[in-house]
Amino acid sequence: MSDSTGEEAALEVVDLHKSFGNVEVIRGASLSAHKGDVISILGASGSGKSTFLRCINLLEIPTSGDVYVAGEKIRMKSGGASGNVPEDIHQVERLRARLGMVFQSFNLWSHMTVIENVIEAPVHVLKVPKAEAIEAAEALLHKVGIHDRKDYYPAQLSGGQQQRVAIARGLAMNPAVMLFDEPTSALDPELVGEVLKVMRDLAEEGRTMLVVTHEMGFARDVSSSVVFLHEGKVEEQGEPRQMFNDPNSDRFRQFLSRTMQ
Amino acid sequence: MGESIIAFLNTWSPLDLVLIAQNFDRFLYGALVTLQLTVIALIVGGLLSVPLAIIRAGKNPWLNAPVWAFTYLFRGTPLLVQTYLIYYGIGQFEWIRETAIWDPILSQAWWCALIAFSLNTAAYTTELLRGSIITTSRGEIEAAKACGLGKWMRMRRIVLPSSFRRALPAYSNEVIFMLHGSVVASTITIQDLLGVGRWLNGRYYLAYEGFITAAVLYLIIVLLISRGFRLWESRWLKHLYPLDAVKTKPKKSLASFRI
Repeated sequence: MSDSTGEEAALEVVDLHKSFGNVEVIRGASLSAHKGDVISILGASGSGKSTFLRCINLLEIPTSGDVYVAGEKIRMKSGGASGNVPEDIHQVERLRARLGMVFQSFNLWSHMTVIENVIEAPVHVLKVPKAEAIEAAEALLHKVGIHDRKDYYPAQLSGGQQQRVAIARGLAMNPAVMLFDEPTSALDPELVGEVLKVMRDLAEEGRTMLVVTHEMGFARDVSSSVVFLHEGKVEEQGEPRQMFNDPNSDRFRQFLSRTMQ
Repeated sequence: MGESIIAFLNTWSPLDLVLIAQNFDRFLYGALVTLQLTVIALIVGGLLSVPLAIIRAGKNPWLNAPVWAFTYLFRGTPLLVQTYLIYYGIGQFEWIRETAIWDPILSQAWWCALIAFSLNTAAYTTELLRGSIITTSRGEIEAAKACGLGKWMRMRRIVLPSSFRRALPAYSNEVIFMLHGSVVASTITIQDLLGVGRWLNGRYYLAYEGFITAAVLYLIIVLLISRGFRLWESRWLKHLYPLDAVKTKPKKSLASFRI
């Protein structure tokens, strides 16, 4: 499925392994995302889905396997006892800037206002002139519906508002792929909708997105494909409607019956 | 009229206020010396403490160990001992007396006090900042990594600004301790604020006049310091206050807001 279109994948992960000590959490998972793909990654807790996502931008260093961002391979080398290490941290930083990340717990910089959070990386990583960055940030804040709070500090916002700012912060880098790590799991139920709506809008405008989520509705209705992880391996993947209506694997069937009730 | 007031004070006041008034310019000058030593030591020590704290918060054992030894030494011994060692101790080495910095600096009590105070406050501030740096939110650091900010940029833009802010309330203690610690200067011939009190006591055998005047002036300085820190906190810790304190009653309630 990865090279059926012939064009270069926005993101490609090949045979990724990750161990913590003796425990192998990811056991050879692969995935590829083309431009405009919205891939939902599902799995029971402990299935390694967050770790998998965090390995992609090297917040966790994969034990082995390759990650390609827009065709460029993240170069790794053997680091002795500590396993693999990045060969060139500057390359990692450059490619991280091409991957927007949204965390479960928002992780906005608490000493900066909303607008400062959004312009920080464009100004200090991409070296965009500040005035230009502010203009772009204001447009993004309008888009996620939080422009009226641009001078507030994160602690003065609700969880849903903070997460929308975090999405704007990720978008401000104009990334090749947006990574979402359980973006609605820390939210009160009534705030989940406003964040999902923003994500739905992004999907509609053709953003490439990788979403680790428990939101079955989002996975089924919005994503272009679904990856089901079980014990660190891709157990099943495919087109969402087909997978939800007629799962191939028993494990995904069980997972669905547990989560959809 | 004026003379009758003086006569009244001479007869009825428990303190010899006239003597205090006559020597008040000395006290003010002493306060100036105290402030000068304290402020310069805090600036020098503060500037030293930033790189030292970054080292102490880091993992490099070759850098960490000497900085640990430095802070242990200067936090583990009294400021008085440190000052004596620098003022009386260093001069015993002939080769030091022959160096170029002996005459203008190391032979001068004021410079010795400044060196001791600066190193002392640097040690305390290093450990204070280190604590602040290592408790920076992991998530905020990860978010900075994920955006592609490099190691030093993360330190400069995220970790340090956040750490300075969280260390600020505790740092006001260090400033006040340094002010009080600066009385050590009066034991090596410097006429600081306490030094003037000692001088008055030695000259007139009047303990209360000298020491109470000095104590009152210290109290005033501390009041100004804590006021100043509150203002500073209301600017720097704005992001920690609840929204209603910011929106409804802007400045006043912020400055008086206490957690």
